[in-house]
Amino acid sequence: MNRIARQIGGWFEARLGIAQALRPILGHRTPRGAKWWYVFGSATLTLFLIQVVTGILLAMVYVPSGDQAYESLQYLNYTQELGWFLRALHNTAASGMVVMLVIHMTQVFLMGAFKYPRELTWLFGVGLLAITMGMAFTGQVLRWDQDAYWGVGVGSAMAGRLPIIGPYMVRLICSGPTIGGETLSRFFALHVFVLPGTLILLVVGHLYLVLRLGISSPPVAGKPVDPKTYDAEYERELANGVTFYPNPIRRDMIFSALTVIVIVALAAMIGPMGPGEPPDPTIIKSDPRPDWEFLPLFGLLALSPAPLEPVAIFGVPAIIGLVLILIPFVGSKGERSPRRRPVAVLSVILFFTTAGVLGWLGHTSPWSPVMDAWSGLPVPERMVKNLRPLELQGAAVFQVKTCRNCHALDGIGGERGPDLTKVATKLTHDELIRQVIQGGGLMPAFGSRLSPAEIDAMVAFLETLRPPGEPPARSAVTARR
Amino acid sequence: MSQCVRFITRCMALPLACVISSGCDRPDPANRPLRPSEVLDFGVLYAQNCSGCHGADGKLGPAPPLNDSLFLAMASDADLQRVIAEGRPGTPMSAFARSAGGGLTPQQVTAIVSGMRSKWSAATTRPAAPLSPYLTQVGHGTATAGAAVFSRNCAICHGANGEGASKAGAVNSPAFLALITDQALRRIVITGRPDLGMPDYQHAADGAARPTPLNEQEISDVVALLASWRQTAAQQSGQVAQAAGASR
Repeated sequence: MNRIARQIGGWFEARLGIAQALRPILGHRTPRGAKWWYVFGSATLTLFLIQVVTGILLAMVYVPSGDQAYESLQYLNYTQELGWFLRALHNTAASGMVVMLVIHMTQVFLMGAFKYPRELTWLFGVGLLAITMGMAFTGQVLRWDQDAYWGVGVGSAMAGRLPIIGPYMVRLICSGPTIGGETLSRFFALHVFVLPGTLILLVVGHLYLVLRLGISSPPVAGKPVDPKTYDAEYERELANGVTFYPNPIRRDMIFSALTVIVIVALAAMIGPMGPGEPPDPTIIKSDPRPDWEFLPLFGLLALSPAPLEPVAIFGVPAIIGLVLILIPFVGSKGERSPRRRPVAVLSVILFFTTAGVLGWLGHTSPWSPVMDAWSGLPVPERMVKNLRPLELQGAAVFQVKTCRNCHALDGIGGERGPDLTKVATKLTHDELIRQVIQGGGLMPAFGSRLSPAEIDAMVAFLETLRPPGEPPARSAVTARR
Repeated sequence: MSQCVRFITRCMALPLACVISSGCDRPDPANRPLRPSEVLDFGVLYAQNCSGCHGADGKLGPAPPLNDSLFLAMASDADLQRVIAEGRPGTPMSAFARSAGGGLTPQQVTAIVSGMRSKWSAATTRPAAPLSPYLTQVGHGTATAGAAVFSRNCAICHGANGEGASKAGAVNSPAFLALITDQALRRIVITGRPDLGMPDYQHAADGAARPTPLNEQEISDVVALLASWRQTAAQQSGQVAQAAGASR
């Protein structure tokens, strides 16, 4: 039996020469001491392979048309046997891929592995990062729910505000002046053909360079890279090194296997992501947010003043990309050990802290105004309890005229305008009337939208809004007397 | 290599145990996101559309309470549906039906009415006295008779002329009367505001049961009195406006 198998194998090998081609790869020498730091790249690749397999399976059911995409995802979630798990696995592995990629890049950066002669390997990696983020964004759009719809909406609106190229960018993203079925087809083609194809090409290039130049040896403090002497020294390290098979490849395989196990378990536990509410531009009571990869950018967007928004959403990623591209050219020589590169270590800490804080802000930043605050958020009971008839009517007017959508009471409500819990300690009767009628700051004038009785009643209510011990606001003129 | 496999099998044990203990999170069709127009759950509909003015639990909001078994006993389903759908013109209550520019479908309006009934109609607190008709009867009451009823029953808290006193605020203010209709006044006279301490038509200001509840005629008379105050206020402000116009 064994002999027959060997004969068949030999027949193929004689014609294909696969073992012959693989032997130098498995047998190539790698420096000693690489250990477990070097496993994140292969784990990223393994997760990409999961994405290919699950992606093909999903594409068999998914219908990339505006009216059926959402339904086909519902079918996968609820009807198709294990369809939910397929979606969960694709989503979890996508997140895992981004995580592994970022860890891999951070490790390469901190260990100075991008320095001579591996500058191009790093650049291929930067390209892979860009494509992976592109996959994450386009994949999120294919979910075709409110998050997806408004995600493209915000993205294309920002693109439209770029100088000169704005209108063309909108047409490029949306396949027309507005979001429609063709937008989805476009993102489907990008997600399924263009980006994965590019990704595979870049992976091939990246791996070719890894094999050709060899993996870098672990950094040693006080041993800077000098292109003149590096090659000879690396040769010496290799001569003293170990072959790729069995130990280094075994570490890669064990770590990849563990990653897959964790990803599968997480997918089963967390379940698929969405689809959320059906996409519908007429439903404005929606709280769209991007997936976690883009939350830092979203947080930055939420913090930016309006004129700077396009800068935040396009300029910042462009700057990050440019910095990543310049890294191997600026620092192609010198120390590799993080112990001798405090600026590198600090910039990594700074980057992740900033991204973490911005991501948290993006996760929690309120969408303002809160469109259904007026009808949904109760007036705090303690404020209602002692109101007189006119003030009660005023509180009802306050709600019905949607003041609450922008103004919070006791911290609950819109955050576009100030919280009015203590407004009577700050504004007098006359100032309140003036503010309601004429507006001011960000607030529109409501004089033409309210009857005199409504203004009277509402101001009477607002005048009750002060803590028991605190005196009401007094006008400056009275105070001076 | 077999060592490898053994190591991986061992490592698989923990995540597998996690999955088995927590169970797979297969999505439940019951949790599928609904379009706003498909929601028929009373709790969700109430929390999105009503609690802003009527309070989180149907009371202690600025608008009259809905969590009030006397009110629910008086008003018919048709009354409630009409008010939700078309609003109450002349008061802050706005129209919620799609047909009137709001966001609710007819099914949702019905769901809110039946939800209010099943949640807040307590059979045990049905009033002993015969109920007055809910809807205002035009021309049924007179302001002069109303003044007598007011001074006997309302003035103790709201002041002799409705100008307000320590226990309750003014009800003669032109702005207040401009923002409330006779029908809404009638409802408050009958049901009171139990959540804010105002007694209903069967109880006195101190909370004790009256020997005889306010009857239908007395209720209509009080509403007529308040309506006459509103008219006086409107005429006065009209005269002021005219005078201002003439002086220009």
